[in-house]
Amino acid sequence: MSLAAGPGRGGGASAAQLPDELQLVVDKHVAYIQSLDTRRDELEYHLTEHLRISGIYWGLTALHLLGQPEALPREGLLDFVFSCLHENGGFGAAPGHDPHMLYTCSSVQILAMTDGFSDLEKRLPNGKMKIAKYIASLQQPNGTFAGDVWGETDSRFLFCGFLALSLLGMLPNQRPNEPPIIDLTAATDHIKACQNFDGAFGVAPGAESHSGQVYTCIGALTLAGELDSYLGEEGKDRLGAWLSERQLPSGGLNGRPEKLVDVCYSWWVMTSMAMIDRVHWIDQKKLTSFILQCQDPDHGGLADRPGDMVDVFHTCFGIAGLSLLRYPGLVEVDPAYCMPKPLVDNFLGRK
Amino acid sequence: MGKYSEDPAWADIVPLPTDEGGPNPLAAIAYSDEYGEAMSYLRAVMASNEFSPRVLELTDDLIDMNPAHYTVWLYRAQCIFELKYPLEDELAWLNETALAHQKNYQIWHHRNTIVDKLGKWQGEAEFVEQMFELDAKNYHVWSHRQWLVKRFGLWEEGELEFTERMLEKDVRNNSAWNHRWYIVNGREAEGVRGVTHEGIRMREIEFARKAIAKAPQNASPWSYLRGIVRKSGMPLASLKELVLQYADTSKPDGVKSSHALDLLADVLAEGADGKQQASEALDLLSTKYDPIRKNYWEYRKGLLGGGSSASTATAA
Repeated sequence: MSLAAGPGRGGGASAAQLPDELQLVVDKHVAYIQSLDTRRDELEYHLTEHLRISGIYWGLTALHLLGQPEALPREGLLDFVFSCLHENGGFGAAPGHDPHMLYTCSSVQILAMTDGFSDLEKRLPNGKMKIAKYIASLQQPNGTFAGDVWGETDSRFLFCGFLALSLLGMLPNQRPNEPPIIDLTAATDHIKACQNFDGAFGVAPGAESHSGQVYTCIGALTLAGELDSYLGEEGKDRLGAWLSERQLPSGGLNGRPEKLVDVCYSWWVMTSMAMIDRVHWIDQKKLTSFILQCQDPDHGGLADRPGDMVDVFHTCFGIAGLSLLRYPGLVEVDPAYCMPKPLVDNFLGRK
Repeated sequence: MGKYSEDPAWADIVPLPTDEGGPNPLAAIAYSDEYGEAMSYLRAVMASNEFSPRVLELTDDLIDMNPAHYTVWLYRAQCIFELKYPLEDELAWLNETALAHQKNYQIWHHRNTIVDKLGKWQGEAEFVEQMFELDAKNYHVWSHRQWLVKRFGLWEEGELEFTERMLEKDVRNNSAWNHRWYIVNGREAEGVRGVTHEGIRMREIEFARKAIAKAPQNASPWSYLRGIVRKSGMPLASLKELVLQYADTSKPDGVKSSHALDLLADVLAEGADGKQQASEALDLLSTKYDPIRKNYWEYRKGLLGGGSSASTATAA
């Protein structure tokens, strides 16, 4: 899966369509994602190797939401995922890369989407528990999680840890009769300490509010089952007000006050609003139109902004944003997991 | 032939090519470039756990070509500590690297690790300000600054004046507003009061008031004021005079700030007979000054009429 940008640009060559006439070019996006693995002759393919497995997760999620879950070969995906697995249960971004929380999370998400956990057991006996223990080993004394042995901490890593543990069925609140493998209370206390005076959340206690970090903090509280009890309606109103302020006249959303709009915030902002039940506070028609203007209607793929080069990251989050906006024909996305909701429901035995 | 394969200093190393993807002649051709070659030497030295000056040079070369490769950083850090390499020299190298690769964030964790081991903060604040000249809103640089303040107790070492310098350059820099909040209120757990202390509160309200006068339609100082109200428990009504300078429902065409109108609605809703006027303020937002969030303003209006008071639901 290449993470190289382009070749197309958002808006693309045939910019003749009026915003009201824009349609999601589903087949072209599927073909674009399928083509990404054939671009190994480009230097950028290799320069982005440290993100490779996340790139596969982004591509696969987009394909699932587009209704084409089989568009990438399952065996090839699993072979690659397992080639990134280390003995300690962690996954690197590519073969030969050190294990890291972000890529362990992407790998577990890919395994869930390809129904690959029985394959995991064949490759690594007791694999689910080994992965869970790797994640648990990264929890720090103050409750947060490091990304790897290097020790960098970020609310993103905590959320990725929760998400992967949840898919593995290993979060303490999922197995109340077993000894907990992480300290859930210490972790959620840390998340709560990341909330700022403006009602939103930053990367660490005291750090500026940022939409991406809001997603990870709200997502973590959701998975821990503490969102409603912590925020309450008043907290949801304050956070929702801050999140809805992210919409600019173009219809797009930004990540912080006085910053540029970017398609990926269609996901980070909107999914946070979905988790606190406030999506309707923004102009959904304008946002839909903005996202559609970021696609290349000729070659597929979405860019951060109209006129920029497309890439698989923005393709995934643009399509996920459209799914939250109930764009016709797309599979519903699960806000906390950023995966197809029917699959997550089935996987976790919900409903 | 390449830089490393031709260098006698590396003659003892058999480079390890990538094992990703299997044979692919097309990839092999493009991959024989400088980056691919350097990576193959890194794989080889990592396989034999070599820590040496030449490995430091190799990681330098690779980071310069691709600073986001986290495994290279990790190996470099290990190498620095194994070799007991002078940490000041590493910082000097990092200064150049950070200025050349502003958007990279691995650099900041590495810097953090080195400064922490070194136990000295001198020079860091100046370097951070140099980085802000390139991008005054760089999230990782602000995080590093906060870490420095906390790690070395620099709360009163000119940080407030630093936020003033940053806001003098750009009063809309929300990162600088956030940093100011942190400096003023970040030691409550240690018993050092921030805006809960009346004198400090007055100073901060005055600071926000002056910033609003410069740019009324700037969300940051309004948000800062709401933060002060919420944290200190001061009455919202005490901001009424300030708010009316920028938004007055009796002069609907003269509104200078949608944020003032928003706050005015809350101030009015708190009063016994202000619900009607609050509703008018919210109508102005919904129809004229911030129509993109029409549904949000309608929700706020709904709170006015219902059982719960708008002030508890939306203040701050």
